[in-house]
Amino acid sequence: MSRPLSKVTGWALLIGLSFFLIGPLVNLLLWAFSSRWPYPSLLPEHWSLRWWRFVLQDHSIAHAVWASLSTAPVVTLLSVLLCLPAAYALSRLPVPGGRFWMISLLAINAFPKFGLYIAIATLFFRIGLIGTYWGVILIQLLGTVVFMVWIPKAAFDAVPRELEEAARDCGAKPLAVFLRVTLPIALPSIAIAAILAFLAAFDESQGTLIVGAPNITTMPILMYRLVSSYPQPVSAVFSVLLGLPSLTLLLLVRRSLLSGRLAAGFGV
Amino acid sequence: MTTLQAGARTQQEKRPIRAQLTGLLLVAPPIALLALLVAWPAVSAISFSLGLIPGNNLLFSQGLHLIRSDHPTFQVYKALWGQPAFRADLALTVGVALWSTLSICVLAYALALYTHFHRHRLATLLRSLYLVPMFVPVVIASYGLLLFFEGRGWLGSLIAQLGAPYRSPIFHQGGVVLGQVWQGIPFGVLLLGAGLEQIAPELLDAARDCGANIWTLLGRVILPLNWTGLLIVATFTFIGGMGSFTIPFLLGPNAPQLLAVEMNNYFGSFDQPQPAVAMAVLTFLIASLAGGLYVFATYRQRKL
Repeated sequence: MSRPLSKVTGWALLIGLSFFLIGPLVNLLLWAFSSRWPYPSLLPEHWSLRWWRFVLQDHSIAHAVWASLSTAPVVTLLSVLLCLPAAYALSRLPVPGGRFWMISLLAINAFPKFGLYIAIATLFFRIGLIGTYWGVILIQLLGTVVFMVWIPKAAFDAVPRELEEAARDCGAKPLAVFLRVTLPIALPSIAIAAILAFLAAFDESQGTLIVGAPNITTMPILMYRLVSSYPQPVSAVFSVLLGLPSLTLLLLVRRSLLSGRLAAGFGV
Repeated sequence: MTTLQAGARTQQEKRPIRAQLTGLLLVAPPIALLALLVAWPAVSAISFSLGLIPGNNLLFSQGLHLIRSDHPTFQVYKALWGQPAFRADLALTVGVALWSTLSICVLAYALALYTHFHRHRLATLLRSLYLVPMFVPVVIASYGLLLFFEGRGWLGSLIAQLGAPYRSPIFHQGGVVLGQVWQGIPFGVLLLGAGLEQIAPELLDAARDCGANIWTLLGRVILPLNWTGLLIVATFTFIGGMGSFTIPFLLGPNAPQLLAVEMNNYFGSFDQPQPAVAMAVLTFLIASLAGGLYVFATYRQRKL
């Protein structure tokens, strides 16, 4: 492609993509600060913070914030505790059928999500987990398992064996080698996996809806109700509140995502 | 062999066995989770949809229109298939998933190619841009798209200001495709981009030296080498489309509607878990067809 033509293509892609990807988000942000925005104005006619006051004082919203904060961090912690040792074992120990176990974890992604949630909910109904805290924890945990194993496994693989051997030669015990050599080198990738796990749990809106109902309403679940029964600015304000953690974390991990750690996690 | 040597060997053999056991023990928790939350529900869903109902369960047998049988029967499926509304839902769901897959593959491939072969500031900007959807919860994204693209949304306002008519895709299948594309771009570009990284630049230079233009390069060198990546993206996008609820719930049509929304109605509002589960099993089947196609294609490519 010639240089000017490639520049034109680039600009077209950039403008088209910004409009499509960012436009709806900016529009949503504007709605959060508007008190009157009649069709077909391109900007709100009146700006105000009154819907923020409304949202921040609403009890059901405080409850939802609490429901989210009491699940997502627990899910993240559990995911780390359950999956990290497995990732290490798959990388360093002669696990029989190791490759098979890795691949079989992908089965989670091979099921259409909502169908799987319906199947799980039916089962949870039978064993009394529907509408319970642990039911929700389990369903959110499911969405974190694949990358919590694959990404740290790739990270452990990338730790040079020579460094571990050198430490061992200096008399370090296996645990010390792990804690002072292997773990620190793999830590950035593990942190990214943990952040992704937190986001997956925090934003989970489909499994939680059917398994958590009617007792547990996390923030994304409340959003369904707000959308259908409140004026637009309320949902818009709530969207901003709900989206803030995600955007903050985006800025934290953006660089590593670009450097291909995530793709490594998918085995490409 | 002296006894000393033999002793040393059993010592060495013992250690791997212990390591193997430790390894299995450490791998067990996520695998157990897989068994508890995927294998068990899937198997029990299949048997439930075939009419095999555990008799001892009160909650389970309270659902309406329950078909109960001692031996596997396709009655639940037959009843579903007998409803024209269900057939329309099914066709719509598969159609939307196919359209989303096609759109995402084309768009993501264009983006991956552009950002791979250009290193200027524009390309860097694009690289940050296409990641954005990854960090926006799907509920927010769907609502944002709703306010932006609906009949009296921002785009509608803009077009009305220009004096042109606007037909909103929201609440039609176009709305669902729009949502799926919005959400699916980061995964597509990241995976396709990673595949492009693995193509040796020398290969492209050689082809260029032989006078290949960009399209020849794409069709004869890049695409054949990056085929697997494209298949992965297509398969997982299709499966994702078959299993997504939030986007069709907020942006999709009402009649016919997508299977996930219908499943939710049957499971919750209609109190008919059995047809809901049968629909879930059907989406598993359709997804496994797509998955099988992908496995077959990659297998053939490895053999070639």
